Amino acid sequence: MVDLLLAQSAFPEAISQNVLAHYLFVSAAMFTLGLVGFLTRRNLIIMFLCTEMMFQAAGIALIAFSRFHLNYEGQTFVIFVLTVAAAEAALALALVVFLFRKRDSLSAEAWAEMKG
Amino acid sequence: MDMIVHPVLLFVAIAICGVGVALSVPRRKFHASLIGGLVAATGVGVLIVALGGAALAEGGPLPSPFFHLLAIIALGSCLQVITHRRPVYAALYFILSILSTAGLYILLAAEFMAFALVIIYAGAILITYLFVIMLASQSRVEDEEEGISEYDAVGRGPITATIVSFALLAALTSMLFTGVRAIAPPAAESVARAETVVLERLPGKIEKELTREGLMARGETVTGLERTEAGVLATVEGAGGGSRLVALPEDLAPTNTEGLAFNLLGDYPGTIEIAGVILLMAMLGAVVLARKFAQIDEEAKATAAAALAEGASAGGGRPNG
Repeated sequence: MVDLLLAQSAFPEAISQNVLAHYLFVSAAMFTLGLVGFLTRRNLIIMFLCTEMMFQAAGIALIAFSRFHLNYEGQTFVIFVLTVAAAEAALALALVVFLFRKRDSLSAEAWAEMKG
Repeated sequence: MDMIVHPVLLFVAIAICGVGVALSVPRRKFHASLIGGLVAATGVGVLIVALGGAALAEGGPLPSPFFHLLAIIALGSCLQVITHRRPVYAALYFILSILSTAGLYILLAAEFMAFALVIIYAGAILITYLFVIMLASQSRVEDEEEGISEYDAVGRGPITATIVSFALLAALTSMLFTGVRAIAPPAAESVARAETVVLERLPGKIEKELTREGLMARGETVTGLERTEAGVLATVEGAGGGSRLVALPEDLAPTNTEGLAFNLLGDYPGTIEIAGVILLMAMLGAVVLARKFAQIDEEAKATAAAALAEGASAGGGRPNG
């Protein structure tokens, strides 16, 4: 049991298609939860948190495919996803702080008059 | 082409998940978070069991028991993120889901990314979120109950959002479960070659291992790798100039970090530069956006300037030493 958790000393073996399907299902379900959250929540911060959740779901799919094909491209791409997520978090939070100072509320509907 | 899970079972399970999520989205009349969570967990459980059954029917391996544990924790805490009424708890549950995702990465033998995820996401990004949540929750409006704002307590159009999102999930999973059978696993040849390519760039690692095994004396160097039927052979060059072939130990393989480093820095150096520029621009943008626009009237500005000039002339007039 314990050796499952220890890091492999040798090159890892490929996972089967069925095991890949398990990971892809978890990824798709997490993406869907993020989408539901983004559509239903009205708090700006939680909405951005839900986009981070969708990034993370994409990361699981990338890493699972990286293990399935036994190459490093998927893992490299997750590094760039993390970069974009960090940049997005910085900008989104700065925007949220800016908007909060103007209206004193985190509600997305406080800016409803902006809709065309 | 047939699906891994029977389509009827798949769509019924996804509908059950959708009902559960729709129930647990916060709303004015009732907030059935626990019941909704249990219903959604039932749907996910049915699907995971069906997937496992399909894997067993083919005689293939099941994912490790840790996978099931971590997947349940990850999806459960994600559900809490989108349904919890208090933003601070939502952010904390998101940290939990990141930790269990890092566990999934370790199961997939991506150790470096697992730790990078914990350090960058849980350690840096989520803490920033928590700071902003606490900063923005300071001022309160009077008509809130128990300190929960109205916009946190009531979701927006939960039924429509859930139907649309779970229709997307149904489309995604039916495509995945049909198409995953068609992906060819990597050929053993190409995997072995990829492994050798990484090892070729790590002569120091090979020399250390061969010296430890006693296959190589001090003063000798490894000049190349050769892949043969019997295994990987290293060309060892002696101090005198003669060379011989030495078989590498079976278990000598590049670690995850070494392979990832060569892939990232060797194959995508330009992309790293672009990522750096993106981060720099995001930092500049954040500084500009979050800056407080202070209003100073002209008189105060003139007074401050005069005080500064006076201080400078007083400082300049002081004798040195």
